[in-house]
Amino acid sequence: MASQVTVFVENKPGRISHIARILGKNNINIRAITISDRGEYGLINIIASDPDRAHDILLKEGFSVSRNYVIGVLMKDRPGALADITEYLNESEINISNAYGFILKSGDKAVLILEVDDFDRAEEVIRGGGFHTLSKEELVNL
Amino acid sequence: MDEAYWDKEIETIDRHSLQQLQLERLNKTLERASKSQYYKRRIPAKINNLTALKDIPFTTKSDLRNSFPEGMLAVSRDEIVRLHASSGTTGRATVIYHTKRDIDNWTDLVARSMYMTGVRKSDVFQNMMGYGLFTGGLGLHYGSERLGALIIPASSGNSKRQIRLMKDFHSTVVHITPSYALHLYTLFQEKGIDPKNDLDLRIAFLGAEPHSEETKLRLENLFGLDAYNSYGLSEMNGPGVAFECQLKDGMHVWEDSYILEIIDPDTGEGLSDGEEGEIVFTTLKREGMPIIRYRTGDIAQTYPEECPCGRTHRKISRIKGRTDDMLIVKGVNVYPMQIEKVLMDIPEVDNNYLIEIETVDYLDSLNIKVEVRQNIFHGGIKELESLKKRISEDLKNETLISPRITLVEPNSLPKSEGKAVRVVDKRDRDV
Repeated sequence: MASQVTVFVENKPGRISHIARILGKNNINIRAITISDRGEYGLINIIASDPDRAHDILLKEGFSVSRNYVIGVLMKDRPGALADITEYLNESEINISNAYGFILKSGDKAVLILEVDDFDRAEEVIRGGGFHTLSKEELVNL
Repeated sequence: MDEAYWDKEIETIDRHSLQQLQLERLNKTLERASKSQYYKRRIPAKINNLTALKDIPFTTKSDLRNSFPEGMLAVSRDEIVRLHASSGTTGRATVIYHTKRDIDNWTDLVARSMYMTGVRKSDVFQNMMGYGLFTGGLGLHYGSERLGALIIPASSGNSKRQIRLMKDFHSTVVHITPSYALHLYTLFQEKGIDPKNDLDLRIAFLGAEPHSEETKLRLENLFGLDAYNSYGLSEMNGPGVAFECQLKDGMHVWEDSYILEIIDPDTGEGLSDGEEGEIVFTTLKREGMPIIRYRTGDIAQTYPEECPCGRTHRKISRIKGRTDDMLIVKGVNVYPMQIEKVLMDIPEVDNNYLIEIETVDYLDSLNIKVEVRQNIFHGGIKELESLKKRISEDLKNETLISPRITLVEPNSLPKSEGKAVRVVDKRDRDV
């Protein structure tokens, strides 16, 4: 199963660069990054090449950090691909609480990261629909 | 010709007669108070002169709290018609009980005070203080009715409505906290209202918050009115204990109703006129709950010279400070311990907080900073937002003030080593 690292940060300049530098120095690659902004603070979600190590390093650096399972869906990088999968999830009554994506190879492959309410059922449903969900190893070796 | 006094005989009584009246009323007070649980073994039955008062022990706020709920009640509960209460640091309130005559006497003092500043029957008085357990709302309300002015019981908040009431009914007198008055002024500017020309305001009672002379003058200039400082505390009824006359140089304490002493807060020794110390009051007319030698915790001085207005009751200066760490936030009395107790009861917060009081848009703002420590962070926004809500609600319940909660990164607040500074008052003193 794929996982995302979430870091709590105050909304002030330099926080992202600080975190990115720490991960960079430790040879950890950031595949994707998003921020949930709540005004005075934000949550930075990171898909890292080595989430376990990213989590431990940031924890040691004093950050409040958590690691949560997410679903990584491999998709075609073409118009309508996102609509296909989200329509399917909607029909299956899977509620998405957060979603973001990144391209692996332009015009070829992309990855959609999903946070959902009912994780186990969602993964089953997605697989049942013929979509490929990425394992932890697959995400590391992208 | 307009009569200058509400009660000329009492207001201009000569000092000697006033002292005789005080002694007479003090002895009645001692007699009444001795019927209460608290005072019965603490006070003499009678004293022969006022100087003997200094041998009677002080009453403190904690004495009031410890005698909760009825330890100081001096009459049967059936005689009590109203109570007022303030929130207390230990979760226990301080309760003051009033008989019908107590309310009547209080009302008369408020009417006398308002009349002294120039309020008359023809005035329209918009009372913008909170009604309820807080004494500022109801106290001025009944005083104004007694005086015969038209009262608009607007209570606090809802600025748009306040402005509409002022315009629709041509309010001439307002009772307002200085910070709220400044806040209203910014709204006037947004709406293009010039209070000097577009409104009929002529008198403002600035209450519930200590404020500087500069703030008062600024408000007078901005609004084009006369602002009067006043002083009161719920233990001594509330408003109507001391009020400025039209000369606006010190507040007359109604000495027919209260014995005023200024003491050295450290030794308890009495101080002379002109010396700065803690204000101590004894009620002279209270039936339901007489209080003897009450230490207010407020620091001020009396004026030695007579007032040219003709009133013989001594004047006190502005309150210069407190003998304890009590804070006044948005007009509400709060002790840091009260806030800390609430915060420490929330497991996620524990010892991990900083209390900041700031001035935002002229208004007091209570801001609680809490570190999102590693052990309480599980990655969810919902969790963090519900923590904020919980802290805010718990504090509102205890202190009546809604704080702003700011979540900050771990290890960003001052470390708690021994007695860490957990309260930072960053308010502009001279807004």
